[in-house]
Amino acid sequence: MNQTIQATQQIDPANIAARAESASKIYGSGESEVRALDSVSISFERGKFSAIMGPSGSGKSTLMHCVAGLDSLTSGSVFIGEVDLSQLNDKAITKLRRNKVGFVFQSFNLIPTLSAYENIILPLSLEGESGDDAWIKTVIDTLSLNDRLKHRPSELSGGQQQRVAVARALASRPEIIFADEPTGNLDSKSGTEILKFMRRAVTDLGQTIVMVTHDAVAASYADRIVFLADGKIAGEMTQPTPDKVLDYLKHLGE
Amino acid sequence: MLRLSLKMTLARKGRLVLTSLAIILGTSFLSGTTIFSDTINNTFDQLFTDVFRDVNAYVRSANSVESEFGESRHSPTQIEALETILKVPGVSAAVGDMQSYARVIGKDGKPLGKDQGPPTFGGIASSSSAGLWKVESGRLPVGAKEMMLDRETAENGKFVVGDTVRVNALSGTREFSLVGIANYGDVSSPGGATFALFDQPTASEFLLKPGFVDAILIQGDGSLSDEELAKSIQAALPAEARLETLTGAQITAETTSQIKTVLGFFTTFLKTFSFIALGIGCFVIYNVFSITAAQRQRESALLRAIGANRRQVTIALLVEALIIGILGSVLGFVTGIGLSQALSALLNALGLEIPSSGLTIEPSAIISTVIIGTVITVLSAVLPALRAGRVSPLAAMRDTALDTVNDFRRRIIFSAVLLAGGAYGLVSSMNGAGAKSLGFGAVGLFAGVLFIGPAISRKMAMIIGAPVAKLRGVTGAMAQQNAARNPKRTSRTAAPLLIGVALVTSFTALAASIKGEIRDTYGKSFRGDYALSVDSRGFGGIPTSITDQIDALPEVDKATGIGFVPAKVGDESRYVLVINPKTTEGLYTLEMVEGKQSDLTKDGILIESDKALKKNLSIGSIVDVTLIDGRTLPLKLVGTYKNAFGNYVVSREIFDGSTNSLFDSSVYIKINEGESDEQVRKAISAISTDLGIGKLESRDEFIDTQAAQVNQILALIYGLLFLSIIIAIVGIIITLLLSVFERKREIGLLRAIGMTRAQIRTMIRWESVITSLFGAVTGVVLGITMGIVIVVSLVEKGFSAFKLPITGTITILIIAFVIGVVAAVFPAWRATRTNIISSIASN
Ligand SMILES: Nc1ncnc2c1ncn2[C@@H]1O[C@H](COP(=O)(O)OP(=O)(O)O)[C@@H](O)[C@H]1O
Ligand SMILES: [Mg+2]
Repeated sequence: MNQTIQATQQIDPANIAARAESASKIYGSGESEVRALDSVSISFERGKFSAIMGPSGSGKSTLMHCVAGLDSLTSGSVFIGEVDLSQLNDKAITKLRRNKVGFVFQSFNLIPTLSAYENIILPLSLEGESGDDAWIKTVIDTLSLNDRLKHRPSELSGGQQQRVAVARALASRPEIIFADEPTGNLDSKSGTEILKFMRRAVTDLGQTIVMVTHDAVAASYADRIVFLADGKIAGEMTQPTPDKVLDYLKHLGE
Repeated sequence: MLRLSLKMTLARKGRLVLTSLAIILGTSFLSGTTIFSDTINNTFDQLFTDVFRDVNAYVRSANSVESEFGESRHSPTQIEALETILKVPGVSAAVGDMQSYARVIGKDGKPLGKDQGPPTFGGIASSSSAGLWKVESGRLPVGAKEMMLDRETAENGKFVVGDTVRVNALSGTREFSLVGIANYGDVSSPGGATFALFDQPTASEFLLKPGFVDAILIQGDGSLSDEELAKSIQAALPAEARLETLTGAQITAETTSQIKTVLGFFTTFLKTFSFIALGIGCFVIYNVFSITAAQRQRESALLRAIGANRRQVTIALLVEALIIGILGSVLGFVTGIGLSQALSALLNALGLEIPSSGLTIEPSAIISTVIIGTVITVLSAVLPALRAGRVSPLAAMRDTALDTVNDFRRRIIFSAVLLAGGAYGLVSSMNGAGAKSLGFGAVGLFAGVLFIGPAISRKMAMIIGAPVAKLRGVTGAMAQQNAARNPKRTSRTAAPLLIGVALVTSFTALAASIKGEIRDTYGKSFRGDYALSVDSRGFGGIPTSITDQIDALPEVDKATGIGFVPAKVGDESRYVLVINPKTTEGLYTLEMVEGKQSDLTKDGILIESDKALKKNLSIGSIVDVTLIDGRTLPLKLVGTYKNAFGNYVVSREIFDGSTNSLFDSSVYIKINEGESDEQVRKAISAISTDLGIGKLESRDEFIDTQAAQVNQILALIYGLLFLSIIIAIVGIIITLLLSVFERKREIGLLRAIGMTRAQIRTMIRWESVITSLFGAVTGVVLGITMGIVIVVSLVEKGFSAFKLPITGTITILIIAFVIGVVAAVFPAWRATRTNIISSIASN
């Protein structure tokens, strides 16, 4: 039954922040061909915290990279809002990432030569804008970064660095934020902190976040979890709790 | 370990290519100049071996004076000796030889050959088998109305047997009928020179002095060895004739070695610049090894982890350096072959034609290039290799290229010591301590600046980059930060440009001061309206007969000629300034310290005041002056002067009746009032310029031209430093590429969060510009400082003031800007190709 599950139900089309349609990504050819994504269709709802889960190598990162405009599909299409990414050239996609997408990666998120504050407003600076000061202040307050703004990344702890990364992702108030295992390199205390901040960003500030993770506890902070296996959608879950997720994963493994 | 090194070397092809590139460039100039000098040396060896091939003995006057360049000028030889020589048993043929100044006037009235370029000779054509010329068509000239031309000149001038040819020489301009065309041995003309040939009496009378030739060439009948032949000829010659006999081999060797001495100055000059280029190459090599050693901390740590000890890690890197060093030097040698051709082209373009036949590649050139290149590469790798050996396994975990904040206090103190020592060396060299002290001084200054580099590069990059950050927003700010983030790397990258720019600046500054000096000196001494001058490089000039003709023109009030002849003053071989005291007044005025210029007679001499002081001479002292003709004249010091070119001035009268041929190198002319410029030029040109003798210029033009002569040398220096600049650019390119590689994740991240490719390019371009401007600004400061130090310490020698080369400095900064932009093109393009996914995915 798994292969027929498509995670597109129940979302009002006007409320979709990003979606993929029959997205396939194939690496290599012939004998060594790898189908990292196999005709995946999925939508991410605006104002919601979504998680993508699945075993290692199931295509989570690939899906995220393709939907975020960092990589191109072999076939199928991807939309951010109403914009079809396959219609854009490199410059337009780059500008779209800058203005409409926020990123938090697992590690090496910050430019070492810039201060925390400069890192936060970097996407705005690249656009030549100063951004919405009040909003940026709210973001910085929410992430408790006020006393760290002048510091260089090398002077920040891992947790603080990830908070700066989250702040940067929020700074331009993007259409959607992608986070690839944002807590993967953190101790559990800092990881929990980050997850709480992301949750608040969605609940209190109305942002849209898609997070890739293989940690059930992390995934339980999301509103909805999409499960991936072998490049296909294997199922989904709403209002998750850690136990429910672990249960589901066990069931998937069988 | 060796296998591992080899594997590691080959595994990183990009790094291999970049490092070898630095070595190739560094060594190519060295091999280029070596091949170039081997080639010209070989050319002259062959030329003179050919010329004297059939000559067994050579007789010439024993009276001679050594010129400043170490070559000796001999007095003419009496032709009477020929009769004596022909009677010596073992002699089969003998003939007079002459290579004097003579210029052939072309059919269009313009002279063949130029003031600059291959010389124009007059010589003797003879039926004797000892003669160097062989008739190709027509016949030998006989008597005062006939002449022959070398084949090449005849062809160039479209002359055929039967034509009338005008020739200008020491005793004036005459017309001859062309009766034959000749070949020089087997070639049409040696080294592009022109030859007008006459029978011996005509040649002696027209070109030199009746009864005299330059030398006598002798052929043996084979019964005696050359040594025995020379000995018996010398024995037959009367002692009072003061003649000397050389064997064919001796005269060949002497002529060749004289040419080589002159060429030696030049090749040493070239070698100096090739070592500068090599030194600059060293910096690039050192920088590349430092960066790559840092980048492969993981690799080194891994080696340590699998059981390699410190020494083995260091040796692995040194072996890699050895492999690359050999490879790069061999390629550098090959590149040098092309470069030697480029060098010939450069010299031709500057009007310094040097004949060369083919290409001479001595095994020693290959060996020395490869050895020097390899040694230098390995030495450049020593420090980085030691550092790599010290890497702790923990370092492998750390991210590379962290900002290094060092304590620079010791560095600053040490550089201050170097700088002070350098300045002291420079100053003392200018005050007579010699070239060694100059070398040490310059090296000290450079070392000081290079050593202090890392301590100031961060600040400097921030300052230079500040406007960029203002203008280009965040991309500019990041460029500024990137240029400042590795102070050591930035300063090492900028170092080659710093050295090049400092040299260019100090030469430019020095040249500007010399030009000012020349203007000053000429401006004060030359008071006429026009000057006729030649740049004959010590051969020929303006025949004094022409000077007299100009003096006699109705448009001309008066004209005075000034010449230089080699002479021995006391025990010093010098070019002596020869003036005509009867006509110099109001035309050529020396700035007298003691005595009057008009006191100069045929028994007197004027000496530069410092020189007189140094030699302990005062008015009335007697100075012995030996001329080429062998006469030693006791001349009385009648006056001292300052601020002129040359240390000694004598009167033209001392050459009356001498066999020493006298040419003027310039004629100063004062015209009668009311004569128009056009009229005057026409009248003088009729005598001189139409004969291709000298250039007629107004006073202002003349002074400009004299000052501009410095430009030729300056252009040569610029040309030679050009290669150093190329190496500097390549150094910047290599560093940027390595930095781009090193910052792959950073660039991938920037691309991910929205930096466009154009912005990436902008960021790298400005980083490059800031780095190169840092080098240029520091170089300009150092160069100007050196210029000031040199000029100020020369003030006593008559240097008026330091002239700041403002336009030169601005030009240099603009060029540095362009260099930065150009150097960034490829690395920036490479950076835009950074794969976003793989760089952000790598942990
Ligand atoms: N550049 C690539 N070349 C070849 N195969 C790749 C590449 N990137 C990812 N893959 C393969 O695609 C599959 C999905 O990878 P990925 O999306 O990174 O999985 P996940 O993030 O879920 O661990 C894996 O089998 C992986 O090996
Ligand atoms: Mg992944």
